[in-house]
Amino acid sequence: MTTLLQNLVDGLGRGSTYALLALGISLIFGVMHLVNFAHAELITVGAYVAYGLSTRDVNWWVLVVAIVVSSVAASIAIERVAFRWVRDASPFTMLLTSFAIERLSHALWQVLVSPKKKSFPGPGWAFDTWTIGSVRFEIMDLLTIAVTVGVLVLTALVFRRTLFGIAVRGAAEDFDAARLMGVRANRVIAGAFAYAGFLAGVAAVMILMRSPTAEPTLGADWLLKAVVAAIIGGLGSFSGAVIGGLALGLAEVFLRSYLPDGTPQRLTDAFVFSLIALLFIVRPAGLFRVATAERV
Amino acid sequence: MTDPWWVRVARSATATAMMSIALFVLAIVYTSTGGSARELLIKELLINLMLVLGLQVFMGNTGILSFGHLAFAQVAAYAVAICAIPIATKSQQLPDLPFGLGDVHLGSLTATLVGVLVALALGAIVGIAVARTGGLAAAMITLAVLFVVDQVVKNWQELTKGAGGLSGVPILKGTLWLWLAAVLAMFVAHWFGETRAGRFAVATREDEIAAPSLGIGMFGARLTAWTVSIAVIGLAGSLRVQTIGSTNPRQYTLDAAVLVLAMLVVGGMRTVTGAVVGTVVITVGNETFRQLGDPQRLDIERFPDLFLGAALLLVMLLRPGGLLGDIELARWLRRVTRRSRPVTGRVAPERSAPLVADDIEVRFGGFTALDGAGLRVQPGEVVGLIGPNGAGKTTLFNVVTGLVESRSGVVRLGDHDLSRSRPHDVARAGLARTFQNLRLFANLSVRENVTIAALAAGRYRRGEPPVDVDGLIAAAGLTELSDRQARTLDYGNQRRLELARAAALSPEFLLLDEPTSGMSDDESAAMVVQVRTTAASVGAGVLVIDHDLAFITRISDHVVVLSEGVVIAEGTPDEVRRSPAVATAYLGSGA
Amino acid sequence: MLEVDGLTTRYGAITALHAVSLRVDVGEIVALVGPNGAGKTTLLNTVAGLLRPAGGTVRLDGDDVTGRDPAALVRAGAALVPERRRIFRDLTVEENLRLAGITASKPDRRRRLDEVRDLFGVLAQRWSTSAGYLSGGEAQQLAVARALMSDPRLLLLDEPTLGLAPTLVDMIFDLLEQLRAQGRTVLVVEQSARRALQLADRGYVLRTGRVVAEGAGADLAERADLFAAFVGIGE
Repeated sequence: MTTLLQNLVDGLGRGSTYALLALGISLIFGVMHLVNFAHAELITVGAYVAYGLSTRDVNWWVLVVAIVVSSVAASIAIERVAFRWVRDASPFTMLLTSFAIERLSHALWQVLVSPKKKSFPGPGWAFDTWTIGSVRFEIMDLLTIAVTVGVLVLTALVFRRTLFGIAVRGAAEDFDAARLMGVRANRVIAGAFAYAGFLAGVAAVMILMRSPTAEPTLGADWLLKAVVAAIIGGLGSFSGAVIGGLALGLAEVFLRSYLPDGTPQRLTDAFVFSLIALLFIVRPAGLFRVATAERV
Repeated sequence: MTDPWWVRVARSATATAMMSIALFVLAIVYTSTGGSARELLIKELLINLMLVLGLQVFMGNTGILSFGHLAFAQVAAYAVAICAIPIATKSQQLPDLPFGLGDVHLGSLTATLVGVLVALALGAIVGIAVARTGGLAAAMITLAVLFVVDQVVKNWQELTKGAGGLSGVPILKGTLWLWLAAVLAMFVAHWFGETRAGRFAVATREDEIAAPSLGIGMFGARLTAWTVSIAVIGLAGSLRVQTIGSTNPRQYTLDAAVLVLAMLVVGGMRTVTGAVVGTVVITVGNETFRQLGDPQRLDIERFPDLFLGAALLLVMLLRPGGLLGDIELARWLRRVTRRSRPVTGRVAPERSAPLVADDIEVRFGGFTALDGAGLRVQPGEVVGLIGPNGAGKTTLFNVVTGLVESRSGVVRLGDHDLSRSRPHDVARAGLARTFQNLRLFANLSVRENVTIAALAAGRYRRGEPPVDVDGLIAAAGLTELSDRQARTLDYGNQRRLELARAAALSPEFLLLDEPTSGMSDDESAAMVVQVRTTAASVGAGVLVIDHDLAFITRISDHVVVLSEGVVIAEGTPDEVRRSPAVATAYLGSGA
Repeated sequence: MLEVDGLTTRYGAITALHAVSLRVDVGEIVALVGPNGAGKTTLLNTVAGLLRPAGGTVRLDGDDVTGRDPAALVRAGAALVPERRRIFRDLTVEENLRLAGITASKPDRRRRLDEVRDLFGVLAQRWSTSAGYLSGGEAQQLAVARALMSDPRLLLLDEPTLGLAPTLVDMIFDLLEQLRAQGRTVLVVEQSARRALQLADRGYVLRTGRVVAEGAGADLAERADLFAAFVGIGE
């Protein structure tokens, strides 16, 4: 029972981060039909900004704000500079463009800063634990879950109550119809990227609190799982992205604890990916269909 | 129709030879000045070439993105390593090697063969999944495969020695074998493009709905392309490990996969020429930037990565089809060496089976699109299907050709029940169609469009006389344009091409969906002639939807009027034209 | 109010409109009829800014609005009710309407929401329902209501009776009359050609991208050769 609870919290903690990233990816796909393989690079941006500021001996709260703000700014910038030009191109071209940006990002950090990891001090309480009865929880896990719940509630409010959110949802369903209502294309896309940047920024904060290092390939480690989670949930579906992310996190943790002792942790990844491959064979459109009809 | 097999082999060989010689000359010039470092670059180039060509055979011909090809190269590399490392060295690295492999020691040729076979075995399993799904899901499956193989290699210590990799593989002397393998890869890539299987794969790439409408099965076409590509990439992996002398998982990461992808895409993934050019550009560029980034010069670490990202980005933004687009050496050779072989003495076959659709009911959610509609076309007859917007005409076509399922009703070609058949089976039975929204193979030439249909007829409609491709192109008035890419044609010509392509299936019936849509009155008149001539030459009856009543009147023997899912009138064109019920259907009844 | 002059629009290789000219005067209902593929939807989409013309001009109250994007057209006072309605099925009725009021100030938007609520009783009842659950007739009303949220002087409607039962067709035609009574100008593309022409002040018949007939609505509706002009049977 204890193990179950601990695994649950552990899995949800991991899954929360995946969920936030997957949500951003799904959001961008909704308005542009682009699977953004460069999305996780925003984490790297946040990491280097935090590293840069940390040398000036600032409070971690300042770092939190800086990470989120820089993630939003970078997201908007990438859209403006690169994705705007391929807006009407084939999905293939858009996908490869996002890959190119991912590569460029890796290379730029290596050139501008260093290929080596740069560590900076994390918040003091990050590895504290909290014990209830016989169960021990990591504070970080609990915090991640709490923050994610808060962000998800905020997201629901933004997308259900604000005109901006409604406009994004409308544009995701039928972009041209939204334009006919008076919605400005550039604004709604930039807005989607900005919000996705915010989500990635929050994810980055959680990741960096636990592991305060900046390195060029930081994003890459999270990218794959995030993209897969978004696709499992069905691209364009908000609830799908969240459930996909949580499911992935839980699957990782539970597989690890139920596989025979001595099975290396990395093999769990193999199992997870095999399951994913199986899922795509059985349900290529993901768990939650966002239906599109093609006219003959 | 198509050239005999030895002509096609000769053409592939010539194209391969031309490229190989060009590369060889460049290599000689490059290595004549400068030492072993330059030789290493050439080796790297040749290995890259094989990897990229392996990927090209699949991606270029099916249009499906694959991240996972490198996984099969890795599998081959490990298979070769395990077989080829001398037993003593092997037992030091892999003391607990299972399956009795510890006693196996093969020569390089045999080991290479084993490598390719192992890659194929694994590839077959994945290929079935990939060929079934297609699209983004298939790409994700290949991505998953890349990771699974990576993890298995890193963790199955007894078999692979884990992340450290295996060394001690006997290195092939000189570059001869590498050159031979690279030339072989080039040849296979060229030759596959010349085969019927290759042409079918390209058709599935160009249009996922038009290809089955010509009888081409999506699954089979994709799986064939996949298998050939795995063989090539298995060869690449096998040779790579015997060039470097060792193998480890770091050579087959996602980074490495993206590099190979970039090389393919930058040059242009649809052509072998593009793949080769792209590989050279990126390999040379990488090396140039690495030297530029040297501490003695600009002192920028990882300059090549910057180059790669920038190159890929620029190509995607400015020339998404790749630097070379569709420019293909083999295609040019084909044009230059073509001899016209007119098909003479072709007699249009006698047909006896009518096409019958009876009591068809279709619902989309709550909306009834067809409510017991039906019609009948006699062999050789031309039947016009008219009706106002939303009447259900295209839906009826889609039911007959297997694209849409009906709740009830029967579709028959003679005694052959087609009611539940899939589109490619319907086409193979003898129904060819054109589409309201035009579905040409846009990047292929006029001739290639028609030829693919003729190839499908040859494969799936045995018993039909050989198709006169040139004749059909001439009837469509496209002889002068036969080498132009379909998407560069003006609209009227595109419609005519679609008709010619459908006829090349040698069908029993042609189903034409608004063939004169967007045409001027003159063009419509010309279309009457083309439809009659073409249909007569292949002995096909015709069922045609159109809104141009002048066209319908001139071409039809019999007209059926559909309105709101039901047949409201039928008869000769004149009878229908004068019918007040028809006028009301089109204009509404007034207040 | 609306002046279309020599408009030519292309879709890739097709020329969908060949130098089409028409006009709609203030307070008029003009009907645009013709067979499928004639270019009627292309014309409306070009006027509304979804498509860029290759030649010709579109003038709204003397202002040249050719080639401007849809959001600008809405702000200029022209709203399109697109073919097949294109309501946002994932959004509620209210959300659809609020979104359509995006170009208005907050108080204006609130006022218009109330007005639309009063005008369309059926929508008021389904205010918080997902638009995907609306019936055909309700969806069409929502589509028109959306267009009204920007308080347009010119309303463009593309086949508003498509797929609707006869009683609902009546309702739509009543709605058009009401819009005219409100002082709005209407350009409507209609399947029910005769009826639309009877209602309209003036009409145009479009075939293969060209105007083949024009005149007073009632005159066109009674023409013996209307069907011939429609489907292009030559003499």
